Amino acid sequence: MNRRTFIAQAGAALAGAGLAPGGFSWAQIQPDVRLEIAPLELEIAPGKLVHTVAYNGRVPGPLIRWPEGKPIVIDVLNRTSVPEIVHWHGLEIPTDMDGAAEEGSPMIPPGGQFRYTFTPRPAGFRWYHTHAFAGHDLKRGTYTGQFGCFYIEPKSDAGAYDQEIFLTLHDWNAYLAASGDASMDAAYDYSTINDHMLGFGDPLKVREGQRVLLHLLNASASIIHWLALAGHELTVVAMDGNPVPTPSPMPAIRLGPAERVDAVATMNHPGIWILGETREKIRKAGMGVVFEYANQQGKPRWIDPPETLWDYRRFAKPQGMIRQPDQVVPLRFESNFHGQGAVATWKINGKSFPQTDTIMLKEGLKYRLQMINRSGDDHPLHLHRHTFEVTSIDSKPLMGLNKDVVIVPANATAEADFVAKNPGATLFHCHNQTHMDFGFMTLLRYA
Amino acid sequence: MIPRFDFSVAVPAKEVNMAGVFACSLLTVFLFSPDSARAQDNYEIQVYPSETMAPKTLLVELHSNFTVEGSTTTQFGMLPTEHQEHETIELTQGINEWSEIGLYIFTAEKSGNEIQWAGDHIRPRVRVPPRWHWPVGVSLSSEFGYARPAFSNPTWSWQIMPIVDQIIGRWYWSVNGTMVWDIHVVPPPANFTTEQKQTYFRDVAPRGVTFGPAATLTYAPSKYYNFGVEYYSYYGEWGNFVSLHNQQQQFFPVVNLFVSPKWEINFGAGWGATAGTDHLIVKCIIGRSFDWSRHRPGSSKSAQ
Repeated sequence: MNRRTFIAQAGAALAGAGLAPGGFSWAQIQPDVRLEIAPLELEIAPGKLVHTVAYNGRVPGPLIRWPEGKPIVIDVLNRTSVPEIVHWHGLEIPTDMDGAAEEGSPMIPPGGQFRYTFTPRPAGFRWYHTHAFAGHDLKRGTYTGQFGCFYIEPKSDAGAYDQEIFLTLHDWNAYLAASGDASMDAAYDYSTINDHMLGFGDPLKVREGQRVLLHLLNASASIIHWLALAGHELTVVAMDGNPVPTPSPMPAIRLGPAERVDAVATMNHPGIWILGETREKIRKAGMGVVFEYANQQGKPRWIDPPETLWDYRRFAKPQGMIRQPDQVVPLRFESNFHGQGAVATWKINGKSFPQTDTIMLKEGLKYRLQMINRSGDDHPLHLHRHTFEVTSIDSKPLMGLNKDVVIVPANATAEADFVAKNPGATLFHCHNQTHMDFGFMTLLRYA
Repeated sequence: MIPRFDFSVAVPAKEVNMAGVFACSLLTVFLFSPDSARAQDNYEIQVYPSETMAPKTLLVELHSNFTVEGSTTTQFGMLPTEHQEHETIELTQGINEWSEIGLYIFTAEKSGNEIQWAGDHIRPRVRVPPRWHWPVGVSLSSEFGYARPAFSNPTWSWQIMPIVDQIIGRWYWSVNGTMVWDIHVVPPPANFTTEQKQTYFRDVAPRGVTFGPAATLTYAPSKYYNFGVEYYSYYGEWGNFVSLHNQQQQFFPVVNLFVSPKWEINFGAGWGATAGTDHLIVKCIIGRSFDWSRHRPGSSKSAQ
């Protein structure tokens, strides 16, 4: 059994149990948000069409902006020919609403619909995306345009900014190519910020002296990206929607798949500038957007930022005492080689999903995920329905950095603590679509 | 960059001022002995892949080849190959996503003699970029250079080599269609008859374009090594191939080790299947790549 058959059987079991979505009457309540999943021909540059699947005919999907603590009703219609599902990433919501078939959320059949009802929390920059299996079909899952931003407004927002901009990174036209770890992995033809390649979308208008809050989301299926705004520093104020203890200015920002960063840019250098991938090859493939100051003219400029290394500790608390966990959960990540011309399968503690051992939790206890990466790749690890505190990276301790995705460096160990306070099946996986489809996930369950 | 190999350099040279009788007798020996008709290129024995080196990356390879059993007589001024040790340094620099340039320094040594410089070649190569999504890898290599007549005939040569390869699961295959234009060959002895000269220019030093395909097939049980077979050949001039007896047909069982991302090692022992082939050669290639970008892994400028 692989992830595909597991999902199919889980969906069939739910259908057989007659689990009507939420026990509601469709006609009685109007949804707050309606998402329609359908094929889309997206013109990312003049004459460059990407055949994909998206929400409401646009990429990214509509921004959902919702007050913290207020229940929301979202209807999702599947107008494609394959089962789909929407995952509400970073939200601490019940298992059946989370949008992961592995946890028990129902798949939405072709032509069908489903109503998601939950109370969004915690406040901050979350997002939503498909959680469907792709496998060797690189036109499915997170390779598509099925993603959008979900901003849960805090009850009190200092709002120390003049303008707010949501930017999503994505890579298109995936194909399998040789990777750094000897096996095949996804590579891409084009990259975009929001729905256009660099130079082809409308510029973002700013004024001198403004403080612009950028909500940056890496919605790539598998690529870790670096972003910089030429001529400006970006001050990181939040990660994965959670304020960081030590906001820090950076010449460039690193984002693993599914990671988010909120960063403030002070517009103090008038001109026409490019915010783009720091690596020229990816920027030329389209990953960039133009920032245009009022009353400025000319060609957009790019200035290479100084070479930057990313260290989560820079944004964590300088020092302090971490409460020790009640239990440490060692998780060893390894790959199984199937040839340089094949995709590797992935194992957690020697087993590939769904054969992985389920981790049992007791409500109220604090657990430490000890993520031991024995591969040559950096992996963005995501825990569903919970927020964790990153407590060490490569044996270097840190505290106060709350996230739901953490990049575990190649051949290194990272640790993250969380409190079991949201009962139900909880998925833990690498957010690289290829990796998760080929075994890199496991389930946590509450006793 | 393993797997790959080249079969371009070196054919036997001849002493231009050789005495006629000696030359005739030598040619007779040469044509009818089990030694090579056209001496073998044993400097860099490698089947090339279509992939090129990454930009700002230099691969340094040392090719060490020892002819255990080869030609035992001097042929047209070219030294016997048996017990010759060849050391070739190959430098390959990536230029961009789809091209590279290589440089070869050939040396030869035989017991009792010092290491001697044998020649140099330069080799630009271009490939079909991966974003074209071709089902097979394709590249085109062009190799030009000089080799001393004691070690090679022709001395000046230009090689064009289309390369096609593919990885299917654990299997890898590559075919190199090696074609060499012998720009300058060592002339035959002055007292050769017309017939002898015809034979010389057909079997020893063709003035046209020669053909000698090479290929490899490997299987990778692990990401750290693969094993397989490499095939090298020399058929002769296009449209006028030499007889099978005088062709070169050689098979190398090989092992490739990938002990780290920066190192690659190839071992092989080659068996010559025809009288025109050196009968036994052992070879080793050790390669080490250097990243000149000076970017730290995982940084904002790293390719990772």
